[in-house]
Formats: sequence, structure tokens, C-alpha cells
Amino acid sequence: MGWRDRLERVGELVREFYDVRHRGALKRERRDEDDLFMLLVFSEMMGIENPASYYTLELLPLLYEGFHEWHIRMGMDHSPLENFRCC
Amino acid sequence: MTTLDLSGRSILFVGGKGGVGKSTTAGALAVSMADAGERVLLVSTDPAHSLADLFDTSIGDTEKEILPGLHALEIDPQAEVESYLSRVKATMRQYVRPAMYSEIERQIELTRHSPGAEEAALMDRVTALMDEGPKRHDRVIFDTAPTGHTLRLLALPEIMAAWTEGLLRSRDRSDSLGKAVSRLQRHKESRGHDMSWFDEIEEERGDERTRKIREVLMERRRRFSRARRLLLDPEVTAFVLVLIPEKLPILESEKTLDVLRKHKVPVAGVIVNRVLPDVPLGDFLESRRAQEAEYLARVDRSFAKLPRVRVPMLSSDVVGIEAIRGVGGYLFDPGTKS
Repeated sequence: MGWRDRLERVGELVREFYDVRHRGALKRERRDEDDLFMLLVFSEMMGIENPASYYTLELLPLLYEGFHEWHIRMGMDHSPLENFRCC
Repeated sequence: MTTLDLSGRSILFVGGKGGVGKSTTAGALAVSMADAGERVLLVSTDPAHSLADLFDTSIGDTEKEILPGLHALEIDPQAEVESYLSRVKATMRQYVRPAMYSEIERQIELTRHSPGAEEAALMDRVTALMDEGPKRHDRVIFDTAPTGHTLRLLALPEIMAAWTEGLLRSRDRSDSLGKAVSRLQRHKESRGHDMSWFDEIEEERGDERTRKIREVLMERRRRFSRARRLLLDPEVTAFVLVLIPEKLPILESEKTLDVLRKHKVPVAGVIVNRVLPDVPLGDFLESRRAQEAEYLARVDRSFAKLPRVRVPMLSSDVVGIEAIRGVGGYLFDPGTKS
């Protein structure tokens, strides 16, 4: 392995190191945003008055798959919504 | 004689306290306009409909021609809720694993009876009629429910538009973060190690979903903001306040006018129904007339900037086309139409 190759390899490792950290931070930020979205949509079920709860119903089928991950992440082992069984 | 200048206004809301003659006024305007050769759609949004009784004929949830050029319709909010729920169920079957159907169906069933559901469904229908009605008719006249209900209905598009806006912004932020993540991902793939085929399948499903969520929200926003635009456009929409010369209806109408002004809803005028006619009435009603004069003066003061039309108390109930046409003569002068 020549010097050039070695340098490239080191550069790649450094880039990889920062990418992973950066990627992680971005992913976390995105997840927070999505959690907020879930909270806004499901707020009525959590007892927070939501004038739009009727309109959010049409989002329910699209969000349901993410619901489990969401309530686990929110620190609730079981679905907090008495009307909305999950696990 | 003062009549209302409604020329060019294709959407009219007739509103006021319960029992002051909203339906009669809306019906009378509709008949006069149809008589003048306009195509008119008369819509009742009051869950306790009275158009059918007024016109002494059956009227349902679909447009029915009750005079040449005049169609009428009584919105059934529950039917509206049902059709919305079945649309949601159809989406569900497309996006959700069958194992989850029953949970979501349960949620949908709960919404059927939730307090805001009928109101929201009603607004959906009113919004759609404001949008499409004027394509088929020269005028769409809404005979509204008692004031509080109607003011809320008029304020909803604003609240909802702000809410959808917030959700869409949240989606935007999430999407741009997602794009940044996948740019880094590609960067990594270009360097070789590859387990990405697995992520990609998951991502594609997620993307389709994300796209659909955005689509649903955009459609909502489009409809809310269009309703709001129409509602506030003085070239298109006018609110007609109906009252009778008595204390409570006047107080309520004053408050209504404040709210309408605050929301910038254009107001075309005030109809004062059941004014004692200018004929000798005997001692009892003459003392009543003295009190009425005070109320009429108050109406003139409170609504000084608006055209005010007085309709006398009639010798019999207004039922059926001929009687309605008679009232119309006080309200609307076909000569003023554009």
C-alpha cells in the first residue's frame, strides 16, 4: 500500500466517523419531529382538546404502523390510550 | 323602500337567533331571485331543518327542484359523517395490515359519536357547496343554524387552516431531515459495504406513506383556505342578519355583528322581521308599539352603517310558495340585480 492509498484510507475512516455521528444526530432530530407530529395528531385521544380530531382520523391509517414505536419511545410500555389498544 | 343590495353576491348566509324567521327570510330571498330568472340553490345547515315545512314539501339531503330555477337541500350531518368514515375505512384497507383492521375500525366507530364530528362534517359539506354550488347556480343561499353554531362554522376554516399549516411544516422539517440522512447513506454506499437493500424496501413503504400523509394534509389545507377566501370576499359572499324588534334578538345580533366584523366576514344588511304593521291595532298592541319603537331605534343605532329592511308582521303564518313570495317583495328588488 502506497502513501497515497494509506492517506485515502485514513480520510475515508475519518469521513465515516463523522458521517455516522452526523447521520445519527439527523435521524434523532427527524424522529423528534415525527413524534411531535404524532402527538399533534393523537392529542385528542390523550385528552388534549383538538379541534381537528375529526380530520385527523383520515391520517390514522397512515400513522398506525408508527404508533407502537412512538408510545414505546415516549416511555410508555403499553398504549396510553384506553380506546386505542396496541400492546 | 330599502331593499338589500345583493347584486353579484353568489354566496349568502342568512343567520340570527332562533325563531326570528331565518328560514322564511332565506326562502323569500330564494323565491324572489328565482322569480327574477336566477338559478338558486337554497341550503339548510340547521340540524333542525325547517325548509321542508316552510315550502310545505319534502326536501332531503340531495338537491331538489321546488320551483323553476330553485333547488333546495337540507344537509344531513350524520350522513356526511358516515360517508367520511367509509372513505377512511377504504384508505385503511390500502395502508394497514389486515391484523390491525379491527383496532382502527374501533377508533373510527368512536369518532362517529365524538362531539365535534357532526360539526366538522357539516363544515365539509358547506365548504364543498361554497366551492361547487356557484358553478351550477347563480346564488347559493345558506339558511343557517342559530347564531353560535354558525359563527363557529364560519371561524372553523381559519382555525383548521392554521392547524393543517402547522402539521405540514412539521412534515416539511421531517422530510428535509430524512433527505439529509439518505444523502449521507448514499455517500456510505458509494464506498462499498452494503446492507442497504433491506433499508430500501422499508424506506420505500415509508416514503409512499409520507407522500400520502402530505397529500391528505395538502388537500385539507386547499379546501380550508379556499373556503376562507370565499367567505371573506365581499364580491362573492354576504351575511344577512335577521332579527325581530325584541330585546334578546337585538342583543344577540349586536354580538354577532361584532364577531363577523372581527373575522372580516362581509355583512350585507339587517332584516327586521315582524314589525307591527301601520294600521290601528287596538290599545293592547298600541302600547306594545311604543315599546317596539324603542327597539327599532336601537336597531337603527346599532346597525347604522348597514342597510336595514323592515318586514311587517303578517296576518297569517308564512307557509307555501305564495306566502313566501309575498315576503320576498319586502326584501329584494329584482331591479337591483346585476
